[in-house]
Amino acid sequence: MPLIDVHKVRKVYANGQGKNTVALDDFSLQVEEKEFITIVGPSGCGKTTFLLLVAGLEQITSGVLLFDGHPIDGPDANQTIIFQEYVLFPWRTVAGNIEFGPEVKGISKRKRREIIKNYVRLVGLEGFENRYPHELSGGMRQRVAIARALANEPKLLLMDEPFGSLDALTREAMQVELLRIWQENRCTVLFVTHSIEEAVFLSDRLVVVSSQPGRVKKIFHIPFGRPRKREIITSTDFVALAAEVKGLILEEENYKERINRWEK
Amino acid sequence: MKKGNVLSLISFFGVWEVVGQWQLVDPLFLPAPTVILAEAWKLTCSGELFTHISVSLYRAGMGYGLGALIGVGLGVIVGWSRRLEEYVDPLIEMIRPISPIALLPLMILWFGMGNSSKVIIIFKASLFPILLNTIAGVKGVDIKLIQAAKTLGANQRQVFCKIILPASLPMVLTGLRISTALAMLAIVGVEMLAAESGLGYLLVEAERVFDTPKMFVGLLVLGILGYLWDRLVRFAQNRILLWHRQTTLEGEI
Repeated sequence: MPLIDVHKVRKVYANGQGKNTVALDDFSLQVEEKEFITIVGPSGCGKTTFLLLVAGLEQITSGVLLFDGHPIDGPDANQTIIFQEYVLFPWRTVAGNIEFGPEVKGISKRKRREIIKNYVRLVGLEGFENRYPHELSGGMRQRVAIARALANEPKLLLMDEPFGSLDALTREAMQVELLRIWQENRCTVLFVTHSIEEAVFLSDRLVVVSSQPGRVKKIFHIPFGRPRKREIITSTDFVALAAEVKGLILEEENYKERINRWEK
Repeated sequence: MKKGNVLSLISFFGVWEVVGQWQLVDPLFLPAPTVILAEAWKLTCSGELFTHISVSLYRAGMGYGLGALIGVGLGVIVGWSRRLEEYVDPLIEMIRPISPIALLPLMILWFGMGNSSKVIIIFKASLFPILLNTIAGVKGVDIKLIQAAKTLGANQRQVFCKIILPASLPMVLTGLRISTALAMLAIVGVEMLAAESGLGYLLVEAERVFDTPKMFVGLLVLGILGYLWDRLVRFAQNRILLWHRQTTLEGEI
């Protein structure tokens, strides 16, 4: 049984003036446990919507969306989402942020201290436990967000362009970091990005989503072994694969443009 | 205090003193600061000033405390529940513009001339900034913070206690600070109109016998009290909101 079973999901947003936007239509995907899936597609294709649905923060309009065999009916500690803007709790220190999940679960203070120690080490933030988020750099904040999510031991980690607001070098470093952390923790990851290179580098399978309405256009199996080294991104196989993915997405962008021209 | 602060105060009172000493203005209208200080010293020694201050502070403190308690409590509930806001909003907007002083006759009718009528007026004066700021603070909490908490497993009650409350605290404290000034304004008005004690009463009494220095003492004390009260709230604000101060413009100043 797949961990996430998405079958013909449709998501419509009503904008209040009788105009409806179909964000996702006929969207189907199976995600196996421990898989690292990336989702790419032109902007506005409903990638983020899909994550919000799986996180239980939005409701599907129709179709079937199962997590671990059960329909998703609301947010749950088993599916934790990490946003692009980190969304740390600014009034809590690094340690305070990391222990939030265990704290609301009612885990004892002593055990929480241990958890904090483990995850601070995992994301390499030793010595920063008592800092507040505003005292940290963007990359460090995103590490805290990752630690906070993992400290909850979720079955599924949802990441919505988590490295989108980092500078290029930090971003590369964080990708390597994320793979190292994932190798250690091995939870299932659904990772939305608009960087094709990032997507190919990180994932087991790469899902290209078409735009308006969003549906799965093609799924690529990424053949590179693990653990992966950053060096592979210059290999011919990698470049060829990235180019193929890019071609598909560009097709979508052009398609969208044509529609826009018609409407004018 | 910064250098500019001191300089500004010294030059202000310096010019005033010169005007008073040379009697450029009739001392009946404008006594010199030293004369006022002497009067203040006299009133302090006789204990009269202390009595008035403590009575005023008691009334203002009670009313303000009540306003803070109910303002924050009600504000949090109203901000949290969209349904309730529909019911409460018209009432708030109708009662809010009524001057606190305008309620005085009715309050005297209901509660008599004692302290309770005054406390109620101060309560009315300080309630609304606290209430409205709290409502706005709660409603303004970033939805993403709530979503993040929920996906980390927080239930509704935990979202409320661990997210909504701390996230709205900056706004709540701003409301508390605005209200200190309003409470001070209202207490004087009320005491001038209907009281036998308090700083407002001191002012009216001084006016009746043309005791201008005494009037100035009253004003001076009001200024100082208001300043100290604001400082106190601001101090608390800075202590509690260390995290907030440094992420906002306030930290830059």
